[in-house]
Amino acid sequence: MTKKFDDIVQAGRVHRTVYTDEDIFSREQQTVFSETWVYLAHASEIPEPNSYVARKMGLRSVIVTRDKTREVHVLLNRCTHRGATVCREKKGDKTPFFTCPYHGWTFRNTGECAAVPHEDAYGDGFNKQSFNLKKVPYVAEYRGFIFATLNADKGKKGIKHHLKSAAERIDEWIEHNGGDHKAIRISGAQQYSVHANWKCLYDNAGDGYHPEFSHQSLLQMTQQRYGAGMDLDYFSGGIDATPMYSQDLGNGHTFLDQRPCMYEASAFDRQRPQPGREAIVEQLSQEVGEQQAKEYFEMSTGAGMNLNIFPNLLFIGNQLQVITPLAVGLSDMTWYSTTIDNVPATVNTLRMRTQEDFTAFGEPDDTANFEACFKGMQEREIDWIDISRHLHTQVDRTDENGIVTSVISSDIHMRAYYAEWKKLMESSDESTLG
Amino acid sequence: MTDKSNSQTSYYLNDAFYDRLMRLVDDWRLDDGVSPALSIDGTDKQACESLIVAEARLADDLRLEAWLDCYSDESVYWIPSSYPAADPRQEITLEFHDKRRLQDRVARIRTGVAYSMVPVIRTRHILGHVEYWQGDTNEIRARASFIIDALFNDKHRILSGWMGYSLVKEKNDWKIAVKQINLIDADCLQENNTFFL
Repeated sequence: MTKKFDDIVQAGRVHRTVYTDEDIFSREQQTVFSETWVYLAHASEIPEPNSYVARKMGLRSVIVTRDKTREVHVLLNRCTHRGATVCREKKGDKTPFFTCPYHGWTFRNTGECAAVPHEDAYGDGFNKQSFNLKKVPYVAEYRGFIFATLNADKGKKGIKHHLKSAAERIDEWIEHNGGDHKAIRISGAQQYSVHANWKCLYDNAGDGYHPEFSHQSLLQMTQQRYGAGMDLDYFSGGIDATPMYSQDLGNGHTFLDQRPCMYEASAFDRQRPQPGREAIVEQLSQEVGEQQAKEYFEMSTGAGMNLNIFPNLLFIGNQLQVITPLAVGLSDMTWYSTTIDNVPATVNTLRMRTQEDFTAFGEPDDTANFEACFKGMQEREIDWIDISRHLHTQVDRTDENGIVTSVISSDIHMRAYYAEWKKLMESSDESTLG
Repeated sequence: MTDKSNSQTSYYLNDAFYDRLMRLVDDWRLDDGVSPALSIDGTDKQACESLIVAEARLADDLRLEAWLDCYSDESVYWIPSSYPAADPRQEITLEFHDKRRLQDRVARIRTGVAYSMVPVIRTRHILGHVEYWQGDTNEIRARASFIIDALFNDKHRILSGWMGYSLVKEKNDWKIAVKQINLIDADCLQENNTFFL
C-alpha cells in the first residue's frame, strides 16, 4: 500500500485517481474518516440532556446524543438486530431511548440495549449487552465543537493535542464572535450537494489564488454597483505582496488569514449592503450608542479567517462549512450559520443577512468550478493535478513551533493536508467500533 | 435628508416588516382549510393573476430587468431553509433578498462570468392551484403550488413546493411585495439554484 501512495501523492502534484478511484474512496472511509478526529456537531445543537442530532461520520450514519448526565455519545444508527435505521429523524429532544421501528428493540441514548421484546424466546444464554448500539469510542469537545475518532492513540491524546495551534485560531474565531463560546449557537443550515469528490471542495478551502478569477461575477458586480474598496477586492492584482498569508498548522490543519486586508479599516464598511442594513444601523445605534453598535457591526461581519480543520470542518466567515463524502463523486457541503446569545436581537438579524451573502454570490461559482474539475479528472490521458504553486520560490518561513507561513496564493494548504492524508492512507491502523 | 424610500437603501426592512412577514406566514397556512372569501374587485384580481404569471414567465425567459419591475421598491424575495419556515431574524435562509440585493443578483448574472450560470440555466415554472384572498388595505394575498424544471449542463432537475405572495398596489400597478418560495426539500441538500425560483 505504501508504495502506491508514493506513486500518487508527490511533491507538487497528486494523481487524478486520488479523486476518482473507488478503492481509494473506500479506504478513505477506514482511514481519513476513522483514524483521525472528525467533526460531527456543535454543542448548541444538542443543548439539553436527552437531545440528539443525526449526522454522518464519513459514510457512517451516526446519532450524536447527550445523555441525562450531559455526556455526549456517538452511536452507529444501525439496529444491532437486523440492520434497520434506529433513528429516522434528523434531530430531537426529550429522547432518552431510541426504539427500532422494525421489531421494537430499544436502546438508551448511551447505546445500551435496554429492551428486546419477548426476550425469553432467545433462550437463557441471551446477553442483551452484546446487542448494544455500536459506538465511536472517542468523543471530545473543544469549546463547543464536538469531534470523534476510532483511533485509540489519537483518542487518548485528546482533541487539543490533535488541533495543535489550530486551537488558538479557533479561540481567535470565538473571540471575534463575542468571546463566550457557550453563547455561540448554530442557527440553521444551508445544505448543498456537489457533484465532485469531497477533496475538490477541501482543495479550495485554503486557495488564495482563485478569488480573482472564480469570483469574477461577484467582483465585477460589486465594483459596478458599489465602487472600489468593497468586499474581496483586495484579492485583485499583486496579492502575494499584501500582508495576507497562509499557514500549515500541522496535522493537516491550515489557515488563510484575510484579516490584514479585510480588517485594515472597517470590515463592515466593505460588506455589500445586507438587506435591512440601514434600518438595523439606525435602530442599533439608538439602542446601544454608536460606539457599541460599531463593535456589533464588525462582529456581525465575517471573521476573515479561513481556518481548515482536517478533514471536514472549515471556518469561513462566521459560518462553519462541513464537508461530508457521500460517494466518490458526490459530496454534502453544509454551511451552518451562527447567532450569538445575549446580544440585541438586531445583531443576529444582521448576522443572518450577512451570512446569506457569500452563499448567494460566491460559493455557487466555486461549486461550478469544483464540479468542472471533477469532470476533468475523469480524463484518463492526463494524470496529474498540480499543487506546486510557491513550492520552489523559497517564500515559506517556519517558526519555532513548526508552523509554516507562506504567501496568500501558495498551494501550501493542499500540500499540508495531502501530507496528512497520505500518512493516514498508508497507516496500517484499522480500528473497529466499540 | 436621506431618501429612505428608494430601492438603493433598505430602511423599510425593519422589525415591523419582519413582524408582518411572520403574520403572512401564519396567513398563508390557510388554517381554516379554504381561502377566505374574496372581497376584491374583479379587475384587481385579474391584474394580480397576470402579475404572478408574468413574474414566472419573465424569470424563465431571462428578461430579468422586466422581472425586477414586478417587485415593489420595498419587497422581499425569500427562500426558507426549513419547512415550515422559521423566523428569518433567528435562522439562516437559503435566500432572503430585499430589492437592492435582488438587483445585485441580476447584475451578477449579467456580468457574463457568473460561472454557476454558464451555460445559462433554462427554467420553466408551472404554477397551479392558485388561491387569492383579501389582505390588508390595498393588498391581495395568494398562494400557489409550483413545479420548476431546471436545465443545466444538459441535465434536468425538478424543484417543487408552494409560493406565498403578498401583492400590493403601488401607484396604479400591482406589484409583488413579498414572495416566499417554500421548497418541499428546503432542509435537504440543494443543487445550483442560482436562477430565480
